[in-house]
Amino acid sequence: MAAVLGISGLYHDAAAALVVDGVVVAAMQQERFSRVKNDAALPKDAAFACLKWGDLRPSDLDSVVYYEQPFQKLERILLSSLRGFPRSLRQFPRAIRSQLADKLWVLDSISELLDVPRSRVHAVGHHEAHAASAFFVSPYERAAVLTLDGVGEDITTAIWLGNGNTLTPVATTAWPQSLGLFYAAMTAWTGFSVLEGEYKLMGLSAWGTARYRERIDRVLRLQSTGEFELDLSYFDQFNDTELGFGKRLEQLLGPRRQPNAPWDLRVSEDQHYADVAATVQQVTEEAILGLARRAQRETGASNLCLAGGVALNALANARLAKESGFARIFVQPAAGDAGGALGAAILGSIVRGDARPEPLTTAALGLPAKAAEAVELAQQLGLSTRRLQDPASTTASLLSEGKVVAFVQGRFEFGPRALGQRSLLARPDSAETCTRLNAVVKERESFRPFAPSVLASACGTYFDMEPNDMTPFMTTVAVARNDAPHPLGAVVHRDGTSRLQTVTAKSASSLHAVLNGRLALGEAPVVLNTSLNGRGEPIVASASDAIAFLLSHQVDALVLEDVLVNKPL
Amino acid sequence: MSTLGKAGRRVRTALQLLRYFASSQRYFLLPLVIILLLGGLLLIVTGGLSYVAPFVYTLF
Repeated sequence: MAAVLGISGLYHDAAAALVVDGVVVAAMQQERFSRVKNDAALPKDAAFACLKWGDLRPSDLDSVVYYEQPFQKLERILLSSLRGFPRSLRQFPRAIRSQLADKLWVLDSISELLDVPRSRVHAVGHHEAHAASAFFVSPYERAAVLTLDGVGEDITTAIWLGNGNTLTPVATTAWPQSLGLFYAAMTAWTGFSVLEGEYKLMGLSAWGTARYRERIDRVLRLQSTGEFELDLSYFDQFNDTELGFGKRLEQLLGPRRQPNAPWDLRVSEDQHYADVAATVQQVTEEAILGLARRAQRETGASNLCLAGGVALNALANARLAKESGFARIFVQPAAGDAGGALGAAILGSIVRGDARPEPLTTAALGLPAKAAEAVELAQQLGLSTRRLQDPASTTASLLSEGKVVAFVQGRFEFGPRALGQRSLLARPDSAETCTRLNAVVKERESFRPFAPSVLASACGTYFDMEPNDMTPFMTTVAVARNDAPHPLGAVVHRDGTSRLQTVTAKSASSLHAVLNGRLALGEAPVVLNTSLNGRGEPIVASASDAIAFLLSHQVDALVLEDVLVNKPL
Repeated sequence: MSTLGKAGRRVRTALQLLRYFASSQRYFLLPLVIILLLGGLLLIVTGGLSYVAPFVYTLF
C-alpha cells in the first residue's frame, strides 16, 4: 500500500502522475497550469494539483519517481560526444551546460520542490517508464511492448515482454539509430517545429504520393530482421540541435521549406514537400511494422502495447492493427514524454508491492472546471450565462444549428488529445466547417484534418472498423464508409481516413450524452472534435481558461458543466 | 530548505556520480566527469549559467 508520485520533465512536456495503492488517481501536464505549450519545467503545479486531488500532502508520499536516469543520460552524452569528435565540439558545451544546470541534480531538485526527503526520490529508465505507462494500464495480462522515441538515456527503441506485474527487456536499439530522430529531422526539413510539428507531417502525408522511396531508402534502410539503420551522413545531430538534418539531406531532397510560409498544395513546390511527407510516412510505418513483427517473434505474445512519442503516429498504429499479426493493440493517450510520469509512478508502486492498476478506460485524469467560477467571471465580464437542465441536449441542438461549441466537462484529459472533456465541437458533415475552423479558430494549415468522435455502438455504421483498444483514445485511424447514412465531410481526411474516437459512457460520459442527443434529433451520432486551444496554446484547463478562449476565438458558445456562456454579439 | 542542505545534497549526488563512473566500464570517462563537476561547482559559486558560460566554453 503506497502513495507514489511520478514526474517527467526538463526535456519536453513535463507531467506528474499520482498512483495510490495501485490506483491511478491523477495525471496532469504542467502546460495546463503554466499555459506554456509543452512546458518542460519541473512540474510543480501539476505535482501539487495531483496531490490535492488525492487529498495528500507531500509528506504522505512513500516515493517520488523520476522518469529518467540522470547519470546514464550524462554517460551517453559524453560517449556520443567522444565518438562524434570533432563534429560534436559545437554542440558539446550546450549539452553539458544543460546537464550541469539542472538535469544532473534533478532528483535533488525534486526533493526540494516537494519538500520530501531525498531518500524517497528515485529514478527509473526512460524507456522502462514508457513501457510501464502502456502495459500496466492496458487490458492485457501478457503482451509485447514496443517503446519508440527520439532517445531516452542511451536507447531509442526497446522491445519488452510484459507479463502480469513485470516488464522484461528483450531487445534495444542504441542512439543515434533512432526513428524519432529521423521523423523529427524530416519534420524540421518540411518547415515544421520539432517536437510539435510531427502531427503536421503526418497530416501532410495524405496529400502526397510516396514517389521518393528510392531516396528515402538511402536515409533509412529497413532490414528483413525488423531492424533499421539510419545513414548518419544525412543528419547533423552533433552540430545542429534545432534541425537535426545536414546539408546532404538537402542535396538529396531539395532545400528545407521555409518555416511558417503559407501552404498551397496546388503549387508544385509544396506538392513536392507533400510527396516527401508521404514517402517518409510510408517508410516510418514499415519500420514500425518490422519492429512489431520482431517483437512478436521474440516474445511470442499475441497483444502489443506501444509507447513513446513515435507511438502517437495514428496512421502507423492503424497499419500495425491490420498487418502486424497481433490480435490486439493498445496505445494510451499520453504516449509521449508526459506519459513517462505515469509509467514512473506505476513502477514505483509495483516495487512497493502494490498491484498493477486497472485498465485505463478514460483519459480524464486532470482537474475539473468549476461552473461557479465560470458564472462569476462571465458576469464580471458582462457575458450572458444560463444554467442548463440538460447540457448534452442543448449542445446537440447548438451543433445542429451549425454552431461551434467549446465543451468543458469534468476533469481535463491527460495527453495531447481532447477526448470530450476540453473539446471544441462542431457538425461533422460539411468540409466548409473544416476550412472555417482551420482558418479562423485554430489558425493552422489548411491541409490539416479534424477528428470525429462517434458513439461506440454506431462506429461500424460510419467507419470500416469496430471499436478496439486504441479507438477510445484517438490513437489510430479508420476508413470512413462510403455508404454511411450521413455525410462526414468535415472529419474525413484526403486519404479517406479519420483519426476517430469511439465514445462510451465510461470513457467520456458528457460527450456520450451529446452524441445520444444528436441521435435523438435524427442526426449522425458523430461530432467533429478538436482540442480546445488556439494556435500555440495549451489545451484549456480551468473555467477562466475557457472563458478566455471564448472571448479570443471565433466560437459561438461555451458549455461548461451545466452553464451556457454565450459569445457577446 | 537551507542552502547548506541543498549544497549537501548536491555533494552527495556528485559523489554518487563519481562512483557511477568509477565502475570498471566507465573509468575512462572519470577525468572528464571531474572537470565537469568542477565546472558545476563554478556554476554554484558564481550563482548562474549566464555568467559562467564562457568559462565552460573555454574548458571544452
